Amino acid sequence: MTDAPHTMSRRQLIRHSAWFGAAVGLAVVGGEVISHVAGTADAARVQGRPTLRFAQVSDSHIGFMGKANSNVASSFSQAIDRINNLGYTPDFVIHTGDLTHLATPDQFDQVKQMMTGLGTPHVFTVPGEHDSVDDAGQKYRSAFGAGTRGDGWYSFDIAGVHVIALVNTLNLKKLGRLGVDQLDFVAKDIAALPSDTPIIVFSHIPLFAMYPDWGWGTDDAAQVLSYLRRFSSVTCLNGHVHQIFSKTEGNVTFYSGTTTAYPLPHPGDGPAPKPVTLPAAQLRDALGIREVSYTRGQNALALKERTLQ
Amino acid sequence: MTLAGVLSRTGIAAAVAVSGVSHAYLYIHGYRHIPTIGTAFLVQASVSLALAALILVGGPAWLRWAAAMLAGGSLVAFGLSRTVGLFGFSERGWQPSPHAALSAVAELLTVGLCAVFLVEGRRARG
Repeated sequence: MTDAPHTMSRRQLIRHSAWFGAAVGLAVVGGEVISHVAGTADAARVQGRPTLRFAQVSDSHIGFMGKANSNVASSFSQAIDRINNLGYTPDFVIHTGDLTHLATPDQFDQVKQMMTGLGTPHVFTVPGEHDSVDDAGQKYRSAFGAGTRGDGWYSFDIAGVHVIALVNTLNLKKLGRLGVDQLDFVAKDIAALPSDTPIIVFSHIPLFAMYPDWGWGTDDAAQVLSYLRRFSSVTCLNGHVHQIFSKTEGNVTFYSGTTTAYPLPHPGDGPAPKPVTLPAAQLRDALGIREVSYTRGQNALALKERTLQ
Repeated sequence: MTLAGVLSRTGIAAAVAVSGVSHAYLYIHGYRHIPTIGTAFLVQASVSLALAALILVGGPAWLRWAAAMLAGGSLVAFGLSRTVGLFGFSERGWQPSPHAALSAVAELLTVGLCAVFLVEGRRARG
């Protein structure tokens, strides 16, 4: 041992190593304990199956032709295969809009045909702005509007969860818009529900202000969210932005899903949300589907993002 | 060790533990399902609790620096999640209440107490 202030004896080195080992060991044990507590809190998981499992797919843009994805039909087929190979049958599949790129009858026919290949008892959809480019959504409703109300909105109950599918793409200015009729529908639809009913809301355009400069928000969403404030668990799933994003505001959690067609830039990255061209391998990583599960007694839904690989 | 030293050690350990418990609570109550953020919360909670325990029983000074860096990092992550987003995740204001505020105060306290500890240590060494 010298008098130099920064040298360390073997004894000191061993002592510090022991403290470091203790820190690592305790952290691992702590992590295990916390994970275990989280796991046992999930009572139904012990029984092996969540109460509700479904898949979200979005923005297939059937009919798109461009460098960003030269074969969107093939990508959508891969997405369907991915859903059919999850290892279980999802209770339903939701397509959160922009099924087609230009809303032509052929494109609606093609996407509808393709979706018959989904291995699930129910397929639900909401329209994107690309599905109503020239007719305020009439062709969309002819193809997918059976059983819906108003301009295509609807709700249903499944496994104790109340699901609301909204249309916020028909009266577009810059932002999405729900409109008075649809707001009335939601107010009446949820009026009799107990506050502990889990709520899931589907829409194409985000119901939160993700990036209003690019129209990534809904101008009267605050109204509908105020109706939902009394519920303990509200989950909003949307498409439109072609990328994964999440946000919580009080009792509401918002999740933007990715696309099966082509990525868009991150908010504010460039002058406008134009399709981004990526190398093939990176494109496959950017495209995907989402698994969602809900277990009774839990407030939050569990999400798993899956690439098309 | 002096009384001031024991108090400082206990204070840092308590502040680190509060931040760790808050993150563990949020992890258990839903955050574990958020991609990347869930894992980050689990790591933050388990490392914080380990550091708190070892600081409390009189571990070496570098444990406090580790705690200060963890607390500082958590504060930066908190700030990012309220502004530009973090791994595609963002939150607003002090939600979820009261855990967001509790964690932020505990982390500020950790950084502050560690800074005091540094200044006092330098003064003691002359």
